[in-house]
Amino acid sequence: MIEFYDVSFRHQNGIMALREINLKIETNTLTAIVGENGAGKTTLVRHINGLLKPSQGKVLVFGEDTKKQSVARLSRKVGIVFQNPDHQLFSDTVENEILFGLRNFGIEEKHDRLEWALEFFDLSRYRNVSPMLLSGGEKKRLCFACVLAWDPDILILDEPTVGQDHKHKEKIVLMINNLLQKGKTVIIVSHDLEFLWPQQPRTLVMSQGKIIADGNIAEALSNDSVIKQANLVRPQLLALAIALTLKPPRNVAEAAKVLAR
Amino acid sequence: MQALKVEDYTFSYLDTKNPALIDVSLEIAKGEIVVLAGPSGCGKSTLLKSIVGLIPHMYSGSWSGKVIVDGAEVSKTKISELAKKVGFVFQNPENQIFMFSVERDIAFGLENLALPKDEMRQRVDEALSLLNLKNLADRAPHELSDGQKQRTAIAGVLAMKPSILILDEPTSLLDPYTAHEVIGTVQRLNKNLGITVIIVEHRLDLVSSIASRLVIMDNGRIIANDVPKKVYSNFEALKAVGMPIMASLHKELGGIGEPPLSVDEFVSALKIRND
Amino acid sequence: MNTTYWVAGGFIYRRIDSIVHRFDARVKLLLTSELVALSLLSFTITELAIALGSTLTIAALAGILKRMGRTLLFSAGFSATIFIIDILVGYTIIEAIVYSMRFIAIVGSTSIFFLTTSPDELEQVMRWFKLPRDLIFAYVTAVRFVPVLMLDALQIMDAQKSRGLEVEKGNIFKRIKNFSPVLIPLVVNAVVRSGELAEAMEVRAYGAVKKPTMLYNFVMKNSDKIVAILSAVLMIPTLYYFLFLV
Repeated sequence: MIEFYDVSFRHQNGIMALREINLKIETNTLTAIVGENGAGKTTLVRHINGLLKPSQGKVLVFGEDTKKQSVARLSRKVGIVFQNPDHQLFSDTVENEILFGLRNFGIEEKHDRLEWALEFFDLSRYRNVSPMLLSGGEKKRLCFACVLAWDPDILILDEPTVGQDHKHKEKIVLMINNLLQKGKTVIIVSHDLEFLWPQQPRTLVMSQGKIIADGNIAEALSNDSVIKQANLVRPQLLALAIALTLKPPRNVAEAAKVLAR
Repeated sequence: MQALKVEDYTFSYLDTKNPALIDVSLEIAKGEIVVLAGPSGCGKSTLLKSIVGLIPHMYSGSWSGKVIVDGAEVSKTKISELAKKVGFVFQNPENQIFMFSVERDIAFGLENLALPKDEMRQRVDEALSLLNLKNLADRAPHELSDGQKQRTAIAGVLAMKPSILILDEPTSLLDPYTAHEVIGTVQRLNKNLGITVIIVEHRLDLVSSIASRLVIMDNGRIIANDVPKKVYSNFEALKAVGMPIMASLHKELGGIGEPPLSVDEFVSALKIRND
Repeated sequence: MNTTYWVAGGFIYRRIDSIVHRFDARVKLLLTSELVALSLLSFTITELAIALGSTLTIAALAGILKRMGRTLLFSAGFSATIFIIDILVGYTIIEAIVYSMRFIAIVGSTSIFFLTTSPDELEQVMRWFKLPRDLIFAYVTAVRFVPVLMLDALQIMDAQKSRGLEVEKGNIFKRIKNFSPVLIPLVVNAVVRSGELAEAMEVRAYGAVKKPTMLYNFVMKNSDKIVAILSAVLMIPTLYYFLFLV
């Protein structure tokens, strides 16, 4: 359960990155945050694990004010996987890389969690390999593995699909569904509206530090001025539905059924 | 003379077991816009590097076959000579802007070719207006947005007046609207300058409407090489990159007639059919 | 992290329009060298007053007093150390003051050049001095990418803090150990970045000819020439005074 009350944030150089954000995210939901580069999406999610503290207002995670907690303490419950794997990986082996977070948080069953992570993310054969030698998609998987190893309740993914090919994107979808089934809360910051569309998440559209739309993805993206302000392009199935005044289909199969008349 | 001719080209990087490219053959005529797509590791970057000369001059390996760019055989021509024929725009705009202002960065390649001052001035001005950068001429890189950085990179390459422009996933770090803008710019340049374009992009939805040809690669080989509409019916090949939504929809609806490449095309076709 | 950023601001060029900023880069270099020479040769209070006074006047004309103030504040620490050491070694109080303040004058006058000259102009000056192209390019690349690398460092720290890394805690050994999760990705990123830059350079024909041309040849305006000559004319008697009459 994440709550933002009148949160504003000003950078050191004076720029207002967030303006009076009011927001509630319930447990076990999937939320997407979209908007143009510089809209404040990454700034917003950095408030959830305490990397940033609000200049005004307050952020509560599971009922506790983030100002009163350290990043380390919040990160135990709120895991963020950042966009660039090369900003994270540093260990001599994949195994040690995954153990890093587990050790930092003092997780007792760390070896069990390690085994789970290696298995779930199909990295067992790379156990003793240096992370630097993995391919782009594998590095991304390793980053997911590192964070999910310590089993945070909330998972934030920052642009998980950038540079990923089709096969890896499918795996990311599977991972997200798996997490939701387990009761986790998932937040995705992404430009990739096509990727988000089939999952029909609650969508927050941000622009210039404010939330300008909030609702199911089809609703949030139905307004032309919202689309324009946030530099977005509608997912094809939604664009199709609007052009033909139909109920937006979730996927191609549904679309085909509706159109075959 | 063709813009590009790749003949039975096989290439392996030094000290690797498996070749990165196997028996690749490709011919591109002047003025075409060719989209090159494929999953990670399929060899598309290797192919691009072989066209621009980074392979074999900067990255060694063993190869057989030929790559001929605008009449010059790549293995026998220096990169600086090839740079006059082929312009290469990399994925990350940050790592290809060297100077402290847009203008001087565009001139970078020209200074390297020791062009006289007046000609440089003219080419820089042309490039600035082609890419709508005239009022950003003296801005520093950190003062530019990502889209502006990418346009600066393209301008810097165009100023060298190549006949072929190659872009390696130019939009992956850009937001959707800016991505479309950059693609639109590329299309406009092709139309106005007649420049041959090769774009690597695995999101076919973004580029197939402007492409004269789609080439799909997988595991070092070319598995499809045809006009977009034909490739959109080649379901086997499309599996490698993930079926574009319109292709998938067309298939689900029975696959009759030509597949649409965009939502607009689909809607128009439907309206025509219903009338 | 924040103090470093703040202090570093005292040396970074910012786009301001002032009389001094508009001078030809070579004139700015000349002026700065003259001020540094004065500061280095100050051995009495009077000389110091002249050196510091000139430096601050030029800084005021350039509108950079506030920024320079940052670096001066930072050098105050070293200055105080010099003062204490001098007293302990046996210099008089006046001498100790002069020597410690001299340090501040040197730092201040050096910073005038960097605060008023854009990296662009600096590159042109280096080319005018016919320094080797590769050296100039290495310098330019460094200045261009230092802010980018700083940003990388901040993002890396954020990523590792989010994995439970606590940078502030622990004894000296623990803190050094905590460095590698930040240092290694930083170095790796820098190396990867240079690889990409190298490819981009090749593809723009870097190194194709021995003598590349320049888009801008700078020409000294008459005002530049006058300032240069005037400052030289003022310097000569002043230096004479400094060296021989005190």
